[in-house]
Amino acid sequence: MPRFFLIATAALLVLGIPVAFGGTTSDPGITSTSIHIGGTAPLTGVAQGFRSVAEGANAYFKYVNARGGVNGRKINYEYEDDQYIPSETVRATRDLVENKDVFAIFNSLGTEQNEAIRPYLNQKQVPQLFVATGGTEFGRDYKQYPWTIAYQPTYISEGTMYGTYIRRTMPRAKIAVLYQNDSYGNDLIAGLQRGLGARKGNIVSKVGYSATDDNVQSEIAQLRASKAGILMLFATPKFVIQAYQYVNGLGWKPKIFNNAVSSASNVMVLSSSRGQNKRVEGSISIVFLKDPNDPKWKRDPAVLLYRKIMKRYNRNGNIKDVYNLYGMSAAFTFVDALKHAGKSPTRASLMRAATHLSERNNPFVLPGMTIRTAANDHYPMDQARLQRWHNGRWISFGGLLKARSQ
Amino acid sequence: MSRLAVARTIAAALAFAASIAFILIAPHWDKVGDIKGAQMGTYFIAIVGLNIVTGYTGQISLAQGAFMAIGGYTTAFLVTHGVRDLWTIPVAALVAGVFGFLLGIPALRLSGLYLALVTFGLAVAMPDLIAWDKLSSVTKGGQSIQLFGSKHLLGQGFNDVTVLGHTTSFNRAVYYLTWAIALVLFLVAWLLLRGGPGRAFRAVRDSEVAAASSGVHIAAHKTLAFAIGAAYAGVAGSLLVIAVAFADPQSFPAKLSLTILVGAVIAGLGSMWGVLLGAAFVEFLPVVSVHISKSQGVPDAIYGAALILIVLLLPAGVAGLLKRAASPLTTRLYTRS
Amino acid sequence: MTDFLQQVVAGLSSGSIYALLALGIVIIYRSTGVVNFAQGEMATFTTFIAWTLVDHGVGYWGAFGLTILIALAGGFLLERIVVRPVEGKPVINGVILTIGLFILFGGLSNWIWKAEVRSFPPSRPFPTSAWNLGGVAVSKQDAGILAVTLVLMVLLWLLFRYTKLGLALRASALNPTASRLVGIRVGWMLGLGWGLAAAIGAVAGLFTAAAAPPLDPNMMRPVLIYAFAAAVVGGLESPIGAVVGGLVIGVVLNLISTYDTHLHLDLDRVRLPLALALILIVLLARPTGLFGRQVVRRV
Repeated sequence: MPRFFLIATAALLVLGIPVAFGGTTSDPGITSTSIHIGGTAPLTGVAQGFRSVAEGANAYFKYVNARGGVNGRKINYEYEDDQYIPSETVRATRDLVENKDVFAIFNSLGTEQNEAIRPYLNQKQVPQLFVATGGTEFGRDYKQYPWTIAYQPTYISEGTMYGTYIRRTMPRAKIAVLYQNDSYGNDLIAGLQRGLGARKGNIVSKVGYSATDDNVQSEIAQLRASKAGILMLFATPKFVIQAYQYVNGLGWKPKIFNNAVSSASNVMVLSSSRGQNKRVEGSISIVFLKDPNDPKWKRDPAVLLYRKIMKRYNRNGNIKDVYNLYGMSAAFTFVDALKHAGKSPTRASLMRAATHLSERNNPFVLPGMTIRTAANDHYPMDQARLQRWHNGRWISFGGLLKARSQ
Repeated sequence: MSRLAVARTIAAALAFAASIAFILIAPHWDKVGDIKGAQMGTYFIAIVGLNIVTGYTGQISLAQGAFMAIGGYTTAFLVTHGVRDLWTIPVAALVAGVFGFLLGIPALRLSGLYLALVTFGLAVAMPDLIAWDKLSSVTKGGQSIQLFGSKHLLGQGFNDVTVLGHTTSFNRAVYYLTWAIALVLFLVAWLLLRGGPGRAFRAVRDSEVAAASSGVHIAAHKTLAFAIGAAYAGVAGSLLVIAVAFADPQSFPAKLSLTILVGAVIAGLGSMWGVLLGAAFVEFLPVVSVHISKSQGVPDAIYGAALILIVLLLPAGVAGLLKRAASPLTTRLYTRS
Repeated sequence: MTDFLQQVVAGLSSGSIYALLALGIVIIYRSTGVVNFAQGEMATFTTFIAWTLVDHGVGYWGAFGLTILIALAGGFLLERIVVRPVEGKPVINGVILTIGLFILFGGLSNWIWKAEVRSFPPSRPFPTSAWNLGGVAVSKQDAGILAVTLVLMVLLWLLFRYTKLGLALRASALNPTASRLVGIRVGWMLGLGWGLAAAIGAVAGLFTAAAAPPLDPNMMRPVLIYAFAAAVVGGLESPIGAVVGGLVIGVVLNLISTYDTHLHLDLDRVRLPLALALILIVLLARPTGLFGRQVVRRV
């Protein structure tokens, strides 16, 4: 009899000690010294310009690891190339989850790409964290997909901010829209219409283009024929640069709104042709991160940190590329969630932390912005400021705006 | 049978056995795995199909990826409308085959390079064609078709699948399904090509004039070759969609057609000996290149350079290499018998 | 009416680029019998070389000229070393080789210069302003590009038709053995064909970077198929056909997308399929292109 108790006690001790001291848990990808997360990004192919979203995040994780990691765990972020092709995203993500045993999927880029893997990840109960896209569905569908959470302000909320601003300040102006013919462009339009409210009839011309087009000359010419006073550019950087050039070439002088995806300072400077193209002057956009090219943040501690991290951990990266900073911001939020996931995080506890964020100290976002989530609010960021391009730089105006994300 | 024929049969049997061994081992080898292995299988099927059109009948087609798209979308459409995924595969083959035949008709009037350019145009235009609003009742426009969770899909796309008493994971089941179909289709192609149709195809390729004078119906065989090649591609596309439980226009870019063509050339056009290695090349060279350097552009540069070297040094592909390697043996056999 | 004309002007502008690229494809085909799938990527590569020169302090026009010379030499060497072995071989070999070059040059451009967004030239080669002709804006830059394209077309046509060099080029392609017997240095002619095409490609790339910015490694990818369409429609052997083909395609595609509202076919979404349809229709009517020669084979 006593022997039984001896053995039982020994067994309990052997089993109990690791659990009590926060060692390995039953979820894959996590040990007492490391956590292995995965993601996909277009490292090659048509969208390869956005690879810095993953590279910037990776650099930030390396920085955190050099300081001991999170709760003694180093973050191993493995991102794979999906060439911006959703079926590749599925393959790579399945590989990461089933063969590489990652703990969570983080910062995967693209709307269709994330849509492709969303049901799979939710079925397997693998966190799909902070998707790198402004698609509305990733926050909206939380009831059906509770393991998925968005990150940046949605395209709909961005469009709404523009619409509201126009309704208030230029209620009679006619509006022309250049948009990319996919959910990104369509979401921006939907937001614009919502913001305009009763004035949505002011949109007199909408011309779409396909991402496979070579130039948007014909589209801009069509839009100019509408004689609108406002031009919305709901397009990616390449086509925005072209649009500014063609608008100038046609002698058309509308007030131009440029979307956040293409509003990085280096893109604006390029569009201005070193100051020769005056159409960029007065352009309006929104901003929610600190643009490292913007002189007003030159001495900001976050931007200095950004430069330090880039220099140390992402030498080959382009320091002017704001998407590196975006990646760092997402990584910062991930680390924040991980810290709140407990001493032995599980996928469930990480998800819980991610859906109970109240992050006020993210250095990479605008001052005063709070990244907040709840079980029924899977939109971490829903604030931004309007900004105007003047004399070669962005100048924010108005306060922090909040827009409905869906 | 002559000694040469005996030797060839033995070699074929050995190659076959080695391939089967590889297929059985591959999923357990972590450098390959189920997912990449299944993708390699879809390339294999598409390459066999392209070989029939281009290698054996001499019609250059850069549109194999476009026919994969047709097959893939057929499967996606049918599964969402209640058809069990496995039954959609032959339908996909049929639909793609019909479109292949339709392309084969104007192709009759186009010679080599013009045909290459037209088929290239089809490959480039296909994603936009799929995304066209007017076709959206079938293709859902630019939006993707999500098959995950459908009860008409093997294992609903994620669950373990039980077949004949054995239970395996979804990925593994897809892998075996793909390769089982690949083997069957390979045998069908082999039988076809060593029989009457194959001889006719080769005759058309080598000399249309001579073939016509010998009574071969040129137009029928040319369009038939296109149809068969497209049907194979349709099966490949169907399996691709089943494997990822997802269909969208960007999954079938122009690059896919180029990849299949490259695979067929590496394998050796006009011969079935090298197809497995051709499929392995196009599946794994990019993976290997990424390991050499993750820098932008390096994997592509390596891929392009490898392609150029192979065309210059081994224009008959792996099959040609195998023939040359075996020639000391075969010449001896030939001269002795 | 002005809207219509504006679309025509825009079409001529895009079409000039298609035409220039198609010119290079035609030259190569005419002189070596190969269709160069890599024409666009080579153009991009040489444009980046020009960018690098300017980045190191060379003036724009100096870099322009230097790049053309580099392209001339580069194309020549490429033909001698890499392309020569596939000439006269089955068509498929040339297709695969040039696809390999397409992938290789694309990879090199990405590797050496990365995917950053750049503008080129840093200040315009042509003025940015436009003429206003009765409400229709014609950009001076676009007019210049069209003018250069037409001039090149005429020069090449004259070269092939009326000069001894052109004759030698054509002869070398048609019958290398006989040409050698007559004393033509066939090897040099073949190389020259590629050199010329590479130089024209460089011009195409430089103009594209200016007219359809930014300069990035993938900039010619969307254009290649339109250039093929132009070359095919015009007939793979005709410089005039290539240019007419390019301009027609540019204009027709623009007009279709602009005015399809009456047809309710959403044709503005399917520019690429329309280009393909155009190729098919022309080839079915005339299998060797609008300006191509009918090939008669003796049995």
